[in-house]
Order: sequence, then structure tokens, then C-alpha cells
Amino acid sequence: MVGRDFDVRRLPGFGLIAVLTVIMLYLPIVILVVFSFNAEQSQTQWGGFSLRWYEAALNNRQVVDVSLRSLWLALAAAAIATVLATMAALATTRVSRFPGQTMIYALINQPLMVPEIVTGIALLIFVAFLKVQTGYSGMGYLVVAHAAFCIPFAYLPIRARLETMDLTLERAAADLYATPLQTFRYVTLPLLVPGILAGFMLGFVVSLDTVVITEFVKSAGQDTLPTYMLGQLRRVVTPEMNAIATLFLALSLVIVTLFFMISRKRG
Amino acid sequence: MTEQTRHEIEITGVGKVFGQGETAFHALRNINLTIRTGEFFTLLGPSGCGKTTLLRVIAGFEQPTTGSLSINGQSVVGLAPNVRTVNTVFQNYALFPHMSVAENIGFGLKMLGRPRAEVAATTDEMLRLVRMESMAHRKPAELSGGQQQRVALARALAPRPRVLLLDEPLSALDLKLRKDMQSELKRLQIETGITFVFVTHDQEEALTMSDRLAVMNAGQILQLGSPHEIYNAPSERFVADFIGETNFLNLKVTARDGSGATVGLPGGATAQARLAEGISPAPGDTVPAVIRPEQVQLCPPGEGDMDGTVTGAVFFGTDTHVHLTLSDGQPFTVRRQNSADQPEPANGTPFGLRLTPGALQILRG
Repeated sequence: MVGRDFDVRRLPGFGLIAVLTVIMLYLPIVILVVFSFNAEQSQTQWGGFSLRWYEAALNNRQVVDVSLRSLWLALAAAAIATVLATMAALATTRVSRFPGQTMIYALINQPLMVPEIVTGIALLIFVAFLKVQTGYSGMGYLVVAHAAFCIPFAYLPIRARLETMDLTLERAAADLYATPLQTFRYVTLPLLVPGILAGFMLGFVVSLDTVVITEFVKSAGQDTLPTYMLGQLRRVVTPEMNAIATLFLALSLVIVTLFFMISRKRG
Repeated sequence: MTEQTRHEIEITGVGKVFGQGETAFHALRNINLTIRTGEFFTLLGPSGCGKTTLLRVIAGFEQPTTGSLSINGQSVVGLAPNVRTVNTVFQNYALFPHMSVAENIGFGLKMLGRPRAEVAATTDEMLRLVRMESMAHRKPAELSGGQQQRVALARALAPRPRVLLLDEPLSALDLKLRKDMQSELKRLQIETGITFVFVTHDQEEALTMSDRLAVMNAGQILQLGSPHEIYNAPSERFVADFIGETNFLNLKVTARDGSGATVGLPGGATAQARLAEGISPAPGDTVPAVIRPEQVQLCPPGEGDMDGTVTGAVFFGTDTHVHLTLSDGQPFTVRRQNSADQPEPANGTPFGLRLTPGALQILRG
């Protein structure tokens, strides 16, 4: 077919750049995954296929502990962040414009703009003070810190969904005798579900991945999977790390796929 | 007084201002209007005239800046839409996309907390009323525009509102479907006996469907009356111009009697004219007058009330619009019924023009 329209694929160098980009993105991950199945304790020498590192990882009490901690921390943080982000999104889209609206928008998105290391140090000082004052040094600090950090990631897709939603639907519900709460329950919320799911997933993944904030806020014995892996890497790197990373990757893929299927089904 | 003339909606001195100071926009100015129980009432006007704002004030989506509004004798100023016994058919239908046709129709009754059996029974009844029984389990996205329109109607009628508000509901449909829906709407209104308040910018739609209509412009009601009154006795130029085609003439009053006036026509003859409400021109005044193109017959020159020369003719199938210049230079159009043996009038042909008695109306200056 001879097309005369602009087609980026025919620009010189397109193929080369595309191939290089894909290699940069995925080759390191492929190598990581391949060597997780290495029978030998090497990251460069292939010694045959084996599941020994997976066995080692799953039999490692510490790995299981930090993984479970990471998971429930991410679930709790994402859940809290999603609820708060939904309320914030409603309060910034379902009201008439008010002075300071842009500032509130910026404040909500603060974690996206302030360097993470700055937030981390600020939290370190603040949480240390609280720990001394209250004597409490449990997981609560991590949950709150993660939730706060996840809010903008949950907020953005929810807000985007609200902004594209037809306002006359809510007006129609009110016209048909729905109280504001019923309108939210039967019209706004069901239509908002894809946005809320997207927000939750994003928050979950971000929390699961966060190293800096966790590192500065955690007390002794509160390692999450990323901070544990980082700690291990300082010693000796065995393919056990590859195996853990591969499992981590598989979990992320499952979550993303699930989300994709849910949002597709909802149209 | 009979049931027909009970007052359903009373609007007194309602004004609506958007914005403040220099940028303030007066969407409604001192609207006074009474809508009777069980009538098909139309708000007609060009876009931006305030008709939709007035509808939204009645629905409760907007609060009036001034004035009062009552429905069935109860003041509703300050009441939210969900406690008003009016339902709206929205211009874009606003069907809930995540609910089936049946769920959409039952929504109002469900919100009112009616028992499940009653909701189901009424939903079935409404599906029958709008002839959508076979579509009950479809989603709105699977329906055509006309079907969505029927669902929107059924949804708004299901809670048996006192008043149904319709915001240009037919504007998104093509011509054929629009004609079908016009008679469908009229049938539904008669069958249910519910008061309909219909907003449109389509004058033909307004004339064919309404019991009474109000012509609006620039936030004001210019004239209120039956389609017959509005068409045949427009009170001012805007109304005459907006509703159908018409001829405007500037004429001199030669004599006055109680309810009308005698005016001098171009060429010297005189004719009787009716007066728009509230005006009283004196003999000698020059006044604006209108006469509809179909209320004038062409006849041989000198035999009519005026004379004119043909400047053009446009063939419309059932009739021909003959454009003429009167003896004093004013343009004039006559609508002539076509018949197969009648030749198209050639340019420059002189004609006499005979006015139908009572067709001439003097407007508010």
C-alpha cells in the first residue's frame, strides 16, 4: 500500500531507535529473570536450569516476612490513599470554582513535585520526634507515610474520570428524587469505579516500590521487600535476589493484567 | 373553574442574574407566567433567550435571583430538585449508562422508596407506554437515538410527576423521527394528563404541539397565547418575525374605532386593521403592521387593495412564494397555492393584491 500520509515509521532511524529503546527497557530484566533459574551462584556464567534459588528464597523466613509486610503495607496505604483521593477529587471537581483551588491542587500533588529524598529526611526528623514523644514506634508511621505519598497517584486517575463524566447524569439523578448521598451511591460511584481501581492499583504499586520513604521512616525490624533487597545487595549478590525480583515482577504483571481485564469489562 | 384552568405553576417576577458587576448577565428579567394544570405549554425562542434557564429554575437546578415560584400552590424557592414533583427530559437524555433500560426507568420510584413490586409494575407499564418492552434489558449505548429518547421519556414519567419538563428533547433527532416523536409526545401528554413544559427553538414544533406558548427573547416573555393567537395576532415585530414568514409594512392610521384602526395602504386604498394588545395609535401616526403571505390573494391589477410588480418567484411544491414590489417601493411576499395549470408569474408582471379581511395587524412600536 502506498500511503502519502505522514507516517512516523518511515522516518530515518525509526527502526534503530525503537529497537535500542526496547533493548534498554527489557534486556536487563530478561537477564535478571534468566539468571534466577541458574543452577550456579553466578550472574554471568550459565550453569544449567534450576529452581534452587526460588526454593532458597521461599524457605528464607526473612524474605517471606518482608514480602508479607510489603504487601499488607501497600494494601493498607493504597486503600487509605484511594479513599482520601476520591474525597479530594470530588471536592475539587464537584464544586463551583473557589479561590485557592489551584493551590489545593498543587498541595495534593506535593509528593509528585517535592524530591523524595527531601520528603524522606523531613519525615525522618518528624517521625523521630513523634517516636520519642509518644513512645510508639509501630508500623503506623509507615502506613501513614506511604498513604500520604500514594494520594496523588490515586488522585490523578480518579479526578480525570470525574472530569470526563457527564454532569447531567448527576443532575438527572437529583431530578429523579435521589438525595445527594443516593446520587453518589447509585450514579457517581459506579461510574467512578474504573478511576478508583486505577488509582488503587497505582497507589499499591507505588507503595510496594518505595525505598527512600521507607528507609527513613522504618524502625528496626520493619524492613519491606525493597529495603531488605537493598540491604542484601550490600553483601553478596546471589541469584536468590534474582528469584525474589522475578516473583515481585510476576506479582506486578498479575496486578496490571487484572486491572486491564476489569477496566475492559466495564467498557 | 374547570380542572383545565387550575394553576400548576405560578412564576412571579422571576429574574436570574449570572455573575456580578459589569460582567453580570441577565438571563431572565421579571418573568410572570402561569402554567395551567394538564396543558402542553411551550417556551419558544432563539438560543440564549433564557428559555432553558427558566426550565432549570422550575426544575430546581438554578435558584432565581429575584421573584417567586410555586408548583401546585406550594412555594418551591430554595427547594432542591430531588424534593420537587417535577421531572426533566434532558436534551442529551442523560440516561445512566451503567443501568439497563428497565433500571433507568425504575430509578425515580426506587429513590422514592417504593416497594419493589410497584417499581417493577410501573416500569413494565412505562415500557409499554413508550413501546420499548423488548428492550428492557439493553444498556442505553445499545439503543438508537429515538429509542434513547423514549427511555428518557419513560424514566421521567414513571414517578408520575405533576409536571414534565422537556428541554429541546427532539433537537438531536433527524426530521422523520422528530415528526414521529412529536405526535408520540402529544399522545403521551393526553394519555397521562401530566402538565408538559416544553422548550424549543423550532417554531413549527411549538405551533403544532402546544396548547399555549410563550415567545421569549433576551430573558423576557414577549407574548403569551395559543398558537392561533401568536401566529395570527403577534404583538411585536420579533414575535411576528420568529413565527413563520411575514410581511412588514409601515402604514399611516387614518381613523380609529374601538377595537381597531383604519390604515392607508400603499396606492391610496384603506383597510381595517386589528391592534396589538395595549397600544392606542392616534390618526396620523405611522405604525408598523404585519400581514401573513398566505392571507393575500393575487388578482388582476387594479382590482385589489394594493398593486405590485413581480420581482421573483420561488417554487415550494404545494405553493409558490411570489415576491413583489408595492407601488410605494416596499417589498411584499404572497404565498400562492399551486395548481398544475397555473403558470409561474414572470418578473415584471403587475398584479393586484387583495387582503383577507382581518388579516392586517398593527404591532407594538
